[in-house]
Amino acid sequence: MNAFGLIQIGLILLCTTIICNHQCNHLLLQQRKMIENSLQLLDKMGKNFPQRCLREKMSFRFPKQVLQPRQKETVRIAIEEIFQHIFYIFSKNLTLAAWDGTALDQFQNGLYQQIEQLEACVIKKHTHYCWSKEVSRLKLKKYFQKIDCFLKDKQHNLCSWEISRAEMRRCLQLIDKVTRKL
Amino acid sequence: MVPDHEAQIGPPGMELQPTNGDIKIKISPPEANQGKKMWLNDLSFKYNLVFWENSSNSQFGYFVQRVFVSVKRWSHFPVLEEESETSSVNDLLCATNLRVLGLNMEFHLHWDNQYEQPVSYNVQYLIGYLKRLNEDYSGKWVGVPGCGNVTGTRCNVSSAITTTGFYYLRVQARAGLNRSCLSTEVKVDPLRTNEIGPPGVKVDISDTLLHIQISPPGGPEGEVMRNNYVLSYRILYWRNSSSDEEEAKVKETKQTVATIPNLAPQTLYCVKAQAFSEAYNKSSVYSQEECIQTPGAKAFPLVILATFMAALFAVLLVALPLVFVLYQAYSKIKYVFFPSCQPPLNIEGFGGQLCTSPYLPTPEEPVENYSIIDSMITYEGNQMDCKDYKHSKQSSRDSGNYSNDDNTSGSKGSAETLGKETV
Repeated sequence: MNAFGLIQIGLILLCTTIICNHQCNHLLLQQRKMIENSLQLLDKMGKNFPQRCLREKMSFRFPKQVLQPRQKETVRIAIEEIFQHIFYIFSKNLTLAAWDGTALDQFQNGLYQQIEQLEACVIKKHTHYCWSKEVSRLKLKKYFQKIDCFLKDKQHNLCSWEISRAEMRRCLQLIDKVTRKL
Repeated sequence: MVPDHEAQIGPPGMELQPTNGDIKIKISPPEANQGKKMWLNDLSFKYNLVFWENSSNSQFGYFVQRVFVSVKRWSHFPVLEEESETSSVNDLLCATNLRVLGLNMEFHLHWDNQYEQPVSYNVQYLIGYLKRLNEDYSGKWVGVPGCGNVTGTRCNVSSAITTTGFYYLRVQARAGLNRSCLSTEVKVDPLRTNEIGPPGVKVDISDTLLHIQISPPGGPEGEVMRNNYVLSYRILYWRNSSSDEEEAKVKETKQTVATIPNLAPQTLYCVKAQAFSEAYNKSSVYSQEECIQTPGAKAFPLVILATFMAALFAVLLVALPLVFVLYQAYSKIKYVFFPSCQPPLNIEGFGGQLCTSPYLPTPEEPVENYSIIDSMITYEGNQMDCKDYKHSKQSSRDSGNYSNDDNTSGSKGSAETLGKETV
């Protein structure tokens, strides 16, 4: 391959990176607002945490190190995966939670939009590969598995849903803090 | 050994349901009905649907992220329902060319009608995330309120669309009792589709400061929109003079008030503003131009003169009556305490009397025993003026003094004195 060909490839890669970074920079501003909205909707869909559910409370221990890595790209993938998990948790067996259907719909819709936007933001294959081997990613998976099992064990009753909702709220607040710093 | 790194993703399941020449495909994720899963989040799977013709080698592949897929069979190759241009090639009843226009979060769906006979339309929407769930969403389309029986080719769909997430819209056309047709869907990303309207601008001037008041687009209902866009404003201002062509200056602000200092006097300045969102890379059209003239430098001394005159007038208004009052008081006091001692010419040298105030008590004079018989001095009523009255008082006092010990007749204040004394 001659030098000219290499230069062309280099330019294309550079341009792609610049364009994608520009998109993703704007994305961050949009995401900040969307996370704010998600938190508001999460509050709106139900009432205050019921006192009687306090005794059933469990400590799930969110792996905070997942949101503290060195690279911006890795944080972005981590946030996308967290959103996917939250979206999955709130996707079924919600009858006993008796939450406001409209607020829940909007919450899920907002999450889905954020997931799509993060996916569209071009992420290098290399980063994907690196992320898939991250230890903290496994801790994240374990965390969400714990919550899923907890809900299944309690047959998705009201208390288990309220505890999970409070936990997800904590999760989103952490993400909110991180995106403001990025 | 990390199980998560070693494990492979198993194959999905698949079911085909032929319907009216089209195909409905239901995909089941791997580990579909298992209690304990390796791949917990089965919503995050993407599936590669591959179609091929037995007779030829051609293959068509589609990546989908949902489990219910509708495929339309076209002449050569299958097409996913939402990617097909029209619902049916020959059915003119269907609404076509669906497009959504939004201004300040008020969305209108427009479509084209190719049918000659009267058609009634019914607009439906689907909340975007439902397509991502592993459930059949075909029964989850909801009619847009107010767009149930439309005869035109547009409808206001704002009641269905909020600022969060995507929405899908489609139009069902009905003609007569039997015929109906569903149009293709259109995906709406509200904050991207929406156009921001222009803000309002008001200007005011004070000295060399230009005050600009911006009224945000969308009015009071537009608060949600403005929050989501994180709106800022770009103000353009320039000198509107025929002589010099000056470039417009720009000022950006997140507030709805702005002040521009250091303006040239006696100049016409024009202002216009636009709203923009950095996060969505969107900007509105510019507002109307508003122009205002800065006050001139010559006017300044006039202002000073006018202020001086007004102050002078005010001072005079207060000072003159005060001076008058003081003068009056002075003359009264002078009269009372320090009267003038000029006797009238005709009684000059009459006697060196002590010049004392008529109102103050005088030292007793030696009383001589004179008696006046039948002296009656009458004073004619009110025809006297005050000077006469004062003189007559003096004389009445005198007459009183000339009487005997009995001083009852000598009342200083009495208008009439009748002295009938006998010694």
